[in-house]
Amino acid sequence: MNFLGRILLFFCALSQTALAENVQTEFHADIPRYTEQALKANLDHEYTGPWEYFVGGGVATLDCNQDRMPDVFIAGGENPSALYINTSHKGSDISFTQSSQTSVAMKNVIGAYPINLDNDAWLDLVVLRVGENKLLKGGPDCQFSLANERFGFDGGRAWSTAFAASFEDNQSFPTLAIGNYVDRSAPGSPWGTCDDNQLLRPSDTSNNALVYEPAFALSPGYCALSMLFTDWNKTGKDALRITNDRHYYRDGEEQMWRLDNGKFPRLYSKADGWQPLIIWGMGIAEGDLNADGYPEYVLTSMGDTKIQSVDTIQASEENRPAYEDIAYELGATAHRPYTGEQSKPSTGWHAQLADVNNDSLLDLYIAKGNVEQMEDFAQYDPDNLLLGNHDGKFVEHGHTAGIDADRRGRGASVSDFNADGLLDILVVNRSAPVSLFRHTGYQQNPLGGNWLAIELSQPGVNPSAVGAKIAIKTGNKTQTRRVQIGGGHASGQLGFIHVGLGVAERASVRVQWPDGQWSPAYRVFANNFALLKRGSEHISYWYPPEQVNAQAQSQAQTQAQSQANAQSQANAPAQSPVRSQEK
Amino acid sequence: MNRLSRLVKLSNVRVTTSLLMTTALMITTPHVITSAFANERPATNVDQNATPWTEQAITQHIDQSSIAEQPNKQQLRALIKAGEQLFNARFTTLDGVGRPMSTQAIIPTKRRRPARQEFSRTAGLDANACASCHNQPFIGGAGDFSANVFVSEGFNHADFDTTDPQFSNERNTNHLFGAGLIELLAREMSTELIQQRNTALVEARETQTTIKLALQTKGVSFGELLVHADGTVDTHKIEGVDADLIIKPFSQKGVITSLRQFSINALNHHHGMQASERFGARWTGSDDFDEDNHNNEIQAGDISALVAWQASLAPPSVKQNLNADWQQAAMRGSSVFDQLSCNSCHKRSLPLKSLVFTDPGPFDAAGTLRSGEVPNAHYDLAMLDWAKQLPQDENGHWLVPLFGDLKRYVIADKKIATLANELLSQRFVERNVFQTSELWGIADTDPYGHRGDLSTLSEVITAHGGQATDARNAWLALSDNEKSDLTAFLKTLTIQQP
Repeated sequence: MNFLGRILLFFCALSQTALAENVQTEFHADIPRYTEQALKANLDHEYTGPWEYFVGGGVATLDCNQDRMPDVFIAGGENPSALYINTSHKGSDISFTQSSQTSVAMKNVIGAYPINLDNDAWLDLVVLRVGENKLLKGGPDCQFSLANERFGFDGGRAWSTAFAASFEDNQSFPTLAIGNYVDRSAPGSPWGTCDDNQLLRPSDTSNNALVYEPAFALSPGYCALSMLFTDWNKTGKDALRITNDRHYYRDGEEQMWRLDNGKFPRLYSKADGWQPLIIWGMGIAEGDLNADGYPEYVLTSMGDTKIQSVDTIQASEENRPAYEDIAYELGATAHRPYTGEQSKPSTGWHAQLADVNNDSLLDLYIAKGNVEQMEDFAQYDPDNLLLGNHDGKFVEHGHTAGIDADRRGRGASVSDFNADGLLDILVVNRSAPVSLFRHTGYQQNPLGGNWLAIELSQPGVNPSAVGAKIAIKTGNKTQTRRVQIGGGHASGQLGFIHVGLGVAERASVRVQWPDGQWSPAYRVFANNFALLKRGSEHISYWYPPEQVNAQAQSQAQTQAQSQANAQSQANAPAQSPVRSQEK
Repeated sequence: MNRLSRLVKLSNVRVTTSLLMTTALMITTPHVITSAFANERPATNVDQNATPWTEQAITQHIDQSSIAEQPNKQQLRALIKAGEQLFNARFTTLDGVGRPMSTQAIIPTKRRRPARQEFSRTAGLDANACASCHNQPFIGGAGDFSANVFVSEGFNHADFDTTDPQFSNERNTNHLFGAGLIELLAREMSTELIQQRNTALVEARETQTTIKLALQTKGVSFGELLVHADGTVDTHKIEGVDADLIIKPFSQKGVITSLRQFSINALNHHHGMQASERFGARWTGSDDFDEDNHNNEIQAGDISALVAWQASLAPPSVKQNLNADWQQAAMRGSSVFDQLSCNSCHKRSLPLKSLVFTDPGPFDAAGTLRSGEVPNAHYDLAMLDWAKQLPQDENGHWLVPLFGDLKRYVIADKKIATLANELLSQRFVERNVFQTSELWGIADTDPYGHRGDLSTLSEVITAHGGQATDARNAWLALSDNEKSDLTAFLKTLTIQQP
């Protein structure tokens, strides 16, 4: 039996055990109901192209016009990329309008990440391409302009497939990491010709203008498909975690670079406790599943998904990154399609941890899809929706939720596109239209758990508070979130941080700002969009725009519920509030 | 047709057998279902097939789906009766009393280890029945000092065994008479406040201006909002209500939204009877979260019956047939009440547009059954005899004589600290802030103060500090006769058996 055969046999044995376990697992929490409505939302877009675009297919989710509704920039591969402006109203069908500006319509785009490069009022974009990468500087009304020259950024000529950013200590501007895939110009390409990755640090400039130093080669590179700056050991110092595709590297492995805030990058090695892991790494998601402050990492791959959990004693006492794979114990290996007839291994790409049913437990979304025509892997490979269970495990409900489309998923964004507190899912598919799954409620119950959406901001440097940690306390339970740029598969988000609260009606929220300072505990009421500004004693709330008739209807419904005597209502004189206007 | 059969026919409330009973019994003995509301025993909803000596208080649960959406008077009475039986029920371990592995917290919270003793006058379980404490002057009423409870959210000090205020807030038992009217007022007020905010948001967006909105409903001011053109709202100048603008009219603090929410909290805290809609598998992964070997020990229909009974309780009234001296003193005292501006917070009445009580209500959050999760039941309280006594204003609104305003105030300060006897804030409300106590029924609900440690009206008025300091000082400046008159007036606000 050849190697691949042995792997397949292992997967089959594993999957039978795991599936049997899943069948036995009781799951009583709410299961979301998703409805695909990309075309209805005016999202008519396809990521396609030859071999170089077998990977990639990312989407950047950002608010580019300061209306706090998430807009999306979607890669197109050989097709032009496109920016779609969100025109949705609260709780309504999702709708977008495609931007007509030419600066956002680029060919050869693999993926993109939102970022605020120059600390102004507008979010910018880092666009990963086959060829020169682009920095797009954002301006009012989602106007973007090319800024490579302005920021001294050499976009290179590589095949870039991964990105992450972090604000290192005392830096006014973000450090960028770019992951590159195969060096197509190297002899023998593609086998064993993985390109180096790059680290770009901002120059020390006296005029407070952003200029990047020449890129530092993070060598060796092992065909990175996702990377993430992470505070893996709670020291406040980010390391750069990279997941690599074993398909093309030789003698490679997963990697983590030690940066120590501006110091010379150094790879964690066996001597440091780093254990070799060889997978078809496609995407990274970070989440703190047990709220111990040490993040767990979801690593997608062909075959089984990994969830890595650090040995906290080694991490805290010896600074050793020794990880254990707990995906099997958590029922989250997701190694073959959960529906359909095929038992071949699955291929995972974008991963994102988020609470899609607002029960206060993190859920795991994984975009799935065959690379192209790989016979040994499942052709029908539906995306996963692994819902967190109260026993600490995950239970697959992609089919029940209605996201098991027969498309080859790549990048994705799990975001609340219509500001109703329910997370929707946008999936960029290879050689097929994008999918937009609107969260329209739940299978068993019309209403779900309580939730909270948190926006952080701080004055001056790093206005989006990248690197901040949020502790959300409800009763004895603490959930954590981190503002990060990176991870996923060629896809990043920046905006409201969503938290499911279950039956809690309120939460105490504390923020550890990127410089390590803690905020006071803010008292926040559930089912709201809360704005936390550094230095402010008070939080404020944001109320999304409602359709005029919908607002009238919702007010009428509220009134009808609380004042069921319709006749009395009709006779009641309207009470006009006392108000004054201030410009 | 015998009495039982008539009840069966009139009642649209169906009762399902407890999970302790077999499914076969439930299906094959429909007559059992009908007997629940005819039983004269003080226990609740007794299954006729249960042995007469059963020690279960609940032998049958009320099926939520069987509650009529628009019950007629007889149907409503049957549900109310079932609720009363539950309120009186002395729950036992056979029903699921106890929460060996769950705390008293409102959010389902596991204990680290079982409590050494299930019953405890501090952390609870601290009562056998709702009526154990709510009984003065009769069921549904207030409680004296011996019926105080210790309010702790149960997160950090699940097992406290001391009355030291650093572990809990000691509270006296409130009466529930007129509670349905109170919740209806709160709903209308919340609706109006939220409408005012929403209208201002639309206007601010349209005009691209910042709007300073003075919040006011039913003549009660709740501070102001700054509503910005980008849809953001500054709430830090709000007064007496949470930033969500939802009036929470129950508990001394004014932090509980509805009778439904209150009932769920109290059943868990005081009896370890956990309602499925909060502690069930949907939210906790288990039908027996407290690990007492009873699944789904309180079901949605049971809570609905409790709500129906509490919501339909007659409001307190004014004592009649006074002798001439008392009558004249009370009249003078009524004037003093206004002269001292007691009525600026203890408003004599608030207008109510509708007497239709909808359950579930519109403002509860997940963890309490919500409007939209089940068909709403609408109880027209106007069908009840006491409703005919409610006066109406020129707009046809019922005037609810609560002597309150459903708003929170700072009621204690450094100098006048009698009521500053709590160390823990509750649900984001500071320790010296309480909701205006409704004075209706005050003649029959002594002792006074949120701890129930003030035995006379004079003491509790003198204890007013904070934002009530001026009124308190004016009271102290009164002559003895004027003080006596005011007392005479307040002693006419009574609770009488309907």
